[in-house]
Amino acid sequence: MSRLAMIVVLAAISAPALVSIGAARADGLSEWATIHKVFSHPRCANCHVEDERPRWSGDHYGGAGMHGFNIKRGTDGSGFGNPGQRCAVCHFEANSGKPHGPPGAENWHLAPAEMAWFGQSSALICAQIKDPERNGDRTLEEVADHVRSDPLVAWGWNPGPGRQPAPGSAEETYRALLRWISFGAPCPGT
Amino acid sequence: MRLTVNNQPIEIDADPDMPLLWALRDLAGIKGPKFGCGIAACGACTVLVDGAPVRSCSLPVGAVDGDVTTIEGLPEGNTLHVVQQAWLEMQVPQCGYCQAGQIMSAVALLEEVDEPSDADIDDAMSGNLCRCGTYPKIRAAIKQAAELKTKLGA
Ligand code: FES
Ligand code: FES
Repeated sequence: MSRLAMIVVLAAISAPALVSIGAARADGLSEWATIHKVFSHPRCANCHVEDERPRWSGDHYGGAGMHGFNIKRGTDGSGFGNPGQRCAVCHFEANSGKPHGPPGAENWHLAPAEMAWFGQSSALICAQIKDPERNGDRTLEEVADHVRSDPLVAWGWNPGPGRQPAPGSAEETYRALLRWISFGAPCPGT
Repeated sequence: MRLTVNNQPIEIDADPDMPLLWALRDLAGIKGPKFGCGIAACGACTVLVDGAPVRSCSLPVGAVDGDVTTIEGLPEGNTLHVVQQAWLEMQVPQCGYCQAGQIMSAVALLEEVDEPSDADIDDAMSGNLCRCGTYPKIRAAIKQAAELKTKLGA
C-alpha cells in the first residue's frame, strides 16, 4: 500500500471516532460552563480563596473587597477563624433576616486554601476540581454528591435578603456535573 | 422558653425568632450587653454561649444552645474577672458603650490564647468597634489580664 493510500485508509477509520470525541468534548465543555458559572459566583468563590481573607463581593457590595473586621482563615489553618473571632461569632445556622445581617448555614467556614476559586480562571478551577490533592480527596462523583448534599454549599442558593443567589440550583449543578463527567470531564484549554 | 443566663435559669415568653439581645435586655432585664447595630457589625452585644462569643443581636433566642454568660456573670462573688480587673487598672473605657462587648471578646480570646501577641489581639478584637478609640488601652489591658491570669493561675 502506498503511503498516501495508508493515510486515506487510516483517516477513514478514525474520522468518526474523532468526530464523536470532539462532540463529547464540546458537550462536556458546555456542561463545565454551567458548573463554572456556579463555582465562580460570589456566593461560592468569596469563601474559596487562596489567601487568608474571605471576600465580600457580588452585586450589592459595589466591588470586591476583603471581609470586614479583619476576619481570617485562622492561625490553626482550620478555616473557622481565629480565637475570639471564629466565623460562628456572627454566622449561625440560618441567615439573619435583616439586610446586611450575617448570613448563616451549618458549619460556616472557609474552604481550604488549595481549593481556591476566587479570581482564578475557568481552566484552573477545572483542574483543581479534578485533582484529588486539591478537591478533598474526592472522586468526581463524590464532588457532585458534595455539591448536591452539603448544607453550606446549599446556602449559595439561599443566601438571605439582598444577596444574589448562585445560578440554578444544587440539583441542577449536580446534574450538570454528572453530564460533564459522562462526557469525559473536559477542562477548557487542555 | 427556658434559658440559663449567668448560671441562673430564667423563664421568658419570647418568639423563637427574637434576637437573644432583645430577650436579655427587654425580657430578662439584663442590660450589660448593648445594642449598637443589630447586624453583627459592631460587637457591642457580644455575650458568651457555652464560653464561645456570639453577637446576641443576630442570634435568635430559639437557636441558643447552651449557657449564656453576659458581663454581669463574669465576677465570682465580689471578685471581678481578671479581664475586668485589668480594664479597671488600665482605665480603658471612655463613654463605655462598647466595653461590655470588648470585655466578652477579650475573655474569649484569653480562654484560648494565654499570652496573646498584638496580632492575636487584632485577629480577635477587630469586630468590636469603639467610637471613642480606646483600642490602645484595650490592647494594653488584654496583655495585663494575661499576666494577671498567669499570676493567679486563673
Ligand atoms: S449590636 Fe450586635 S454587633 Fe452591633
Ligand atoms: S468607649 Fe465609647 S465606644 Fe468604646
